[in-house]
Amino acid sequence: MNTLVTEIRAIITKEKGARRRIKFPLTLWLFILPALTPLTIFWIYPMLYSLYISFTDWDYMSTEYNFVGFSNYADLMTNPLFYGVLWNTLYFSVGVVVPSVFGGLLLAMLVVKKQKGMGFYRTLIFSPWVTPAVAVSIVWSWIYEPQIGLANWLLTAVNLPALEWTSSTTWAMPAVIIVTIWKGLGWCMIFYLNALKKVPESLYEAAALDGASSWQKFLNVTLPLISPTTLFLVIITAVDALQAYDQIQVLTQGGPAGSTRTILYMYYQSAFEQFNMGQATAVATVLVILTASLSLLQFMFSRKWVHYE
Amino acid sequence: MKQLFTYTTKHFFLLLFSFVMIFPFLWMVVSALKTKEEIFQFPPTLWPETPMWHNFIDAWQLAPFGQYIFNSAYTAIAIVAIQVVNSALIAYAFTHFRFKGKNLLFAIVMLTYMLPAAATYVPSYVILADWNLLDTHKGLIFSNAVSVLGIFLFRQAFMQIPKELVEAAKMDGASHWRILWKVIYPLSKPTFLTFVLISFVQNYNSYLWPTLILNSEEKQLVTTGLRQFFIQEGAYGIQWPLIMAASSFAVIPLLLLFAFAQKWFISGISDQGLKG
Repeated sequence: MNTLVTEIRAIITKEKGARRRIKFPLTLWLFILPALTPLTIFWIYPMLYSLYISFTDWDYMSTEYNFVGFSNYADLMTNPLFYGVLWNTLYFSVGVVVPSVFGGLLLAMLVVKKQKGMGFYRTLIFSPWVTPAVAVSIVWSWIYEPQIGLANWLLTAVNLPALEWTSSTTWAMPAVIIVTIWKGLGWCMIFYLNALKKVPESLYEAAALDGASSWQKFLNVTLPLISPTTLFLVIITAVDALQAYDQIQVLTQGGPAGSTRTILYMYYQSAFEQFNMGQATAVATVLVILTASLSLLQFMFSRKWVHYE
Repeated sequence: MKQLFTYTTKHFFLLLFSFVMIFPFLWMVVSALKTKEEIFQFPPTLWPETPMWHNFIDAWQLAPFGQYIFNSAYTAIAIVAIQVVNSALIAYAFTHFRFKGKNLLFAIVMLTYMLPAAATYVPSYVILADWNLLDTHKGLIFSNAVSVLGIFLFRQAFMQIPKELVEAAKMDGASHWRILWKVIYPLSKPTFLTFVLISFVQNYNSYLWPTLILNSEEKQLVTTGLRQFFIQEGAYGIQWPLIMAASSFAVIPLLLLFAFAQKWFISGISDQGLKG
């Protein structure tokens, strides 16, 4: 009886509150507009406007332009250079995502236990993430220096041939990938740390009773329970990889011979070097579609990883 | 015995790995201390014969790094402050107001979250040009005035605050503004702190967009200024010690910030399950 009364009271106050809130639309606007104004001007409108420009031949300099329909897209689709760019993007993304996620998991498993020094390792491993990509890429370009760089010194020290690194079409991409992994590994580790901590101890105990080895425990308990985190990390690292720019600009400028030109780099070059806004925005549309598909996947599976928390 | 062995191997591996991870930073500082001749020695020396501390002063004087760092810090702080306030406001509206089209509005915000910022650059550039805001810090700040991540995080945090608390405050006649800052903010401080740190780091480190819109030397951010210094100073090779000294200026403030706030970075990021 008592609970019923409190419940009814709660509903009444809720109703009252609701009515009162709807009565003050001005307050509501004051809460929404400060975010909504810049969101509209610098996100929503540009997205739509970018799509519009992609159907024109605008060159930024002149005020006049023609509506050219799908020809920018058709040009992209028939341009072998663009397929090279898509291939580079795929190469870069897979090259970054797979080692970052696996490496992140391995490191997280090593530092997850509450033991002396673990916090120290975590801090060191995570530290590259907070530093500017431009600055650390400059440092890495010194490490990659072909004649006297540290990378080649290490290679020759173990009797491997020295590499041309960023000036070789074969090794430029791996060089950029290494820097990107180095910077993002700690990020993946942290997410796994959290996921591993949430695996109930009782499941391991049960598995131990069944005589499971550590490897079997990992395979049958840990891996399935952290799979939502794995999926999440694969998607967000891939989304980030699609937007990599800073390290490419410093290390290779998309070269040599376009071997590190990824989709965002191509967008930058067409828009702000060649001022071919039509083509650039068409590339942007492709980038949006790629990102949106990945995000949609994340969204579709998000229920799954919420479930485990 | 076996346990001790595993324990030692693990620590050995972790120690080695951590060392590899921070080695580029150490290498940066060590290289900054070398003379021009020493830096071209092969095999490289691990520690310079006489550390040239003067290189730091020389680099500092060759380009206005103090100005650059100030520009980065001040624009990032302004951006973060604006983002915090307006994200908190709209997140409050999403969680504590009932209004028509709320779900639609939230769906739009979520959609923006999924799209790459880069795809907005061309039109945003045109907008800033039309408003005469190119090459101004105002333009940089205003174009970053909203953070969808912030809205998302704050909404998530506000949803976990017991409704009764808010109702009670309302009964006492508190305004929405007061409720937000006196009731909700103290209870969701960790989220605020995490967001402030992450947004600050991202804005301080941002490069492509500031490079596009800022041209004059005195307005440059440290990232752009550093890159320019890198190209100017003997383009790829002559003044490496000075370039490494300059890189240290850009990197060390953030490493220091991280050293002080690492607990918040690490626990905050994993708890929120947010994306970069």
